[in-house]
Amino acid sequence: MAAQTKKGDSKKSKENPKGKFSNFISEIINTFKGDTEVSLNMKKVIVATLSVVFFIALLMVAWIEGGRKRVLEFPDINVTSENEGCMNCHQVDTPGVVRQWKESAHAGEGVGCYNCHRAEEGEPDAFDHNGKWIATIVSPKDCATCHKTAADQFAASHHAKAGQILGSLDNVLAEVVEGHVIRDANGNKTKESAAAVSGCMQCHGSEVKLLENGKLDPATWPNTGIGRINPDGSKGACSSCHMRHKFSIAQARQPESCGKCHMGPDHPHIEIYMESKHGIAFVSDRPNMVEQMKKKQWWPGTDFEAGPTCSTCHMGATSDLEATHDVGARISWNLRPPVSEKIDTYEGREKPTWQERRKEMQSVCRKCHSDQWVGNWYIQFDDFIGLYNDKFGKPATKLYKFIREKGLITSVVTFDDKIEFTYFYLWHHEGRRARHGASMMGPDYAQWHGMYEVAERFYQEFVPELREIIEKNKRKGGTKRASALEAERMLNQILNSPMHKWFLGK
Amino acid sequence: MNNNIKKWFAERIPFTFESFKAFGSEPVPHHLKHWWWALGGTPAYLFVIQMITGVLLLFYYIPAEDAAYNSVKNITENISYGWYIRSMHYWSANFMIMAVILHVFRVFFTGSYRKPREINWMVGTVILAVTLLLGFTGYSLIYEQLSYWGITVVTQLLDAIPLIGQFVGDFFRGGKTIGQGTLSRVFIFHVAILPGLLIVLLTIHIAYMHTQGITKFKFAGDKDKKSFPFVPDHLITEIIIALILMFLMTCLAIIFPVHLGSEANPQITPDHIKPEWYFYFAFRILKLTSDTGAVLIMGFGYMLLMFWPLIDSGFRQKKPESERSILIGIFMVLTLVFLTLWEALELLFSH
Repeated sequence: MAAQTKKGDSKKSKENPKGKFSNFISEIINTFKGDTEVSLNMKKVIVATLSVVFFIALLMVAWIEGGRKRVLEFPDINVTSENEGCMNCHQVDTPGVVRQWKESAHAGEGVGCYNCHRAEEGEPDAFDHNGKWIATIVSPKDCATCHKTAADQFAASHHAKAGQILGSLDNVLAEVVEGHVIRDANGNKTKESAAAVSGCMQCHGSEVKLLENGKLDPATWPNTGIGRINPDGSKGACSSCHMRHKFSIAQARQPESCGKCHMGPDHPHIEIYMESKHGIAFVSDRPNMVEQMKKKQWWPGTDFEAGPTCSTCHMGATSDLEATHDVGARISWNLRPPVSEKIDTYEGREKPTWQERRKEMQSVCRKCHSDQWVGNWYIQFDDFIGLYNDKFGKPATKLYKFIREKGLITSVVTFDDKIEFTYFYLWHHEGRRARHGASMMGPDYAQWHGMYEVAERFYQEFVPELREIIEKNKRKGGTKRASALEAERMLNQILNSPMHKWFLGK
Repeated sequence: MNNNIKKWFAERIPFTFESFKAFGSEPVPHHLKHWWWALGGTPAYLFVIQMITGVLLLFYYIPAEDAAYNSVKNITENISYGWYIRSMHYWSANFMIMAVILHVFRVFFTGSYRKPREINWMVGTVILAVTLLLGFTGYSLIYEQLSYWGITVVTQLLDAIPLIGQFVGDFFRGGKTIGQGTLSRVFIFHVAILPGLLIVLLTIHIAYMHTQGITKFKFAGDKDKKSFPFVPDHLITEIIIALILMFLMTCLAIIFPVHLGSEANPQITPDHIKPEWYFYFAFRILKLTSDTGAVLIMGFGYMLLMFWPLIDSGFRQKKPESERSILIGIFMVLTLVFLTLWEALELLFSH
């Protein structure tokens, strides 16, 4: 049969050169129609053709494989010639750093060691390193070369000013009460307080100083505090949140990144978050959330629906809101001071107003919550802050300031009188815990770690200690007695008010 | 020397070259010259692809609750050609299930299950069940959200089997909850028990076919030939089908590479739980009835399918030319297609 077909084909092809081809085509068509039997030769042709086609498909597979980006392995690394020298040594000297960098997006973009660490001769912290001018510290000013918007937003944030704690009450604790600073005859610091160096400054940031030999002063560096004051004058450390040298966006979005500093007795944000529904939802779906966090676009309600992290609400973009590195931009209350204030009423911050800030935060909330939910929640929140302010924050602050101002306690130094610690605990620890607990939906922090302890501190410590001070000064006579009587009148007025009269059994 | 070697082997191997040649010249019924009747070897060929790609995937797959998903992710995203091998495994599984289902339809509607092939039909229905179970267990190994919740639904169905349900469900889960015990079981079933069983069943199926011969059909225009040799004619036909399948599956792997959903999370139920397409009908039955209802309906349906040769024989005893089986078969196929489409459309519009 096969031989016959072949003979017939060759005869036709001699008469008509097109015959062989048309026969071939018609045989294929008939083959698929199933009308005729397929000759063995034809089958061989089909096998050969299909083998070629399949081989081409395999080549296509190989081509796709060649161009495929691996996700978990190191991305395509682009080591430019100016960075090659750095790599050669640091692969041996600091292999961890190089490995981190290799996993970074910077590595894929050809942004290497020298691009960030380069310096100009004459810059305060520049030093000659194998023929190149290098600065150890990469400041926000350096990062702004490529990330200008983020750097500008950060510069306008409260975070950037965190280093200004150096003159605050907390710093008196770390430098005087807890620690010790050595000063020269002119009052200049010759040795920082170790408590401040290892404590406060690691979150708030140090003022980085250089030794006479040009090396970084160990009292001020290593430091990645968020408000670090850098030798180039810029403020902040991007690596505070974006850990070097991987600079992973997913890592910065983890709640623990903020939790390095936002934790503990005075502002237990990470603890409150973990207690909140947001935290529970995040932890429950953490593997998925971490995957989703790796993508640049990470909009709540669009790219994920589980638990938001700190960065989602305070910084993240949504379908109708830009991301911001001004982390306080969406906060409407300042919950840190003894008496909370709407945020546009301090530090001369008139714009944006607290209403505008709140509107932005509410637009984030609305990605997952209804208008009614968001509106009602803010009423609950405002009521809570109002209660703290009116019942404890304002009265305690008014009384404390009065006795200090009138000299009923020493006014030259702080924390030498017991009531100063009592007052500090009341607003700085318990008062903040209560307010932050309410602000971040952590009920136990609002109540038992919060308002309960504020109340106990106020009624069982602050008021008795104040009465003792009043009695002591009443016995002294003169202006002290007059001030003590005035303080007594103020205290009685407060305790007889509707909020407190229960304490007097009324 | 050569003769000595030949002799050495001949004395130790109970087969001769001639016996292989005779096997190759096995006569194949003439109707298999028609393309669409030459698809019998397709599922077997796809099974071989499954085994090869499966073994390659096993080099990297880790059957541990906390590592399974990431190992699949690693295969898909990092291992050289991992995406292609996994896609080929996926597509050949789908093609194999499709081919087995079509083969069942062909045998049913041509009445090839009738005497003396009733037992071979029953073996075939077990092969169908094993193939579907292979699909289900393979899907479950990925340990992504949908497959995790797929196991949850299936084990709930097992619980609903009257009398023995709780025992069967607990045995398959390895306890009361889905976890490492379940994954280990699914793994052992997928890579050892079910493939082993399938090899045994296929051997029986083919042995039966050899013993009883293939049902012969004659079509209008067919030449009056009874058979033709297996080698080379039919072998080349099978090679052509194999090449077409490889090409098609490679194209599908390129255009629709197999994806990976989010990792299994017992805390979050997905908005839409969806099985693989070949279980759509079952899922629809489950939605329309209850766990127990679905188990009973599907169990009864499967028993009907398995023992249909006996039922058909009952019909034909009363009326020898009865084609009632064909009509019932058409009704059943339309019902399955309808239920499958219903489920598919609902899933499509719910997204």
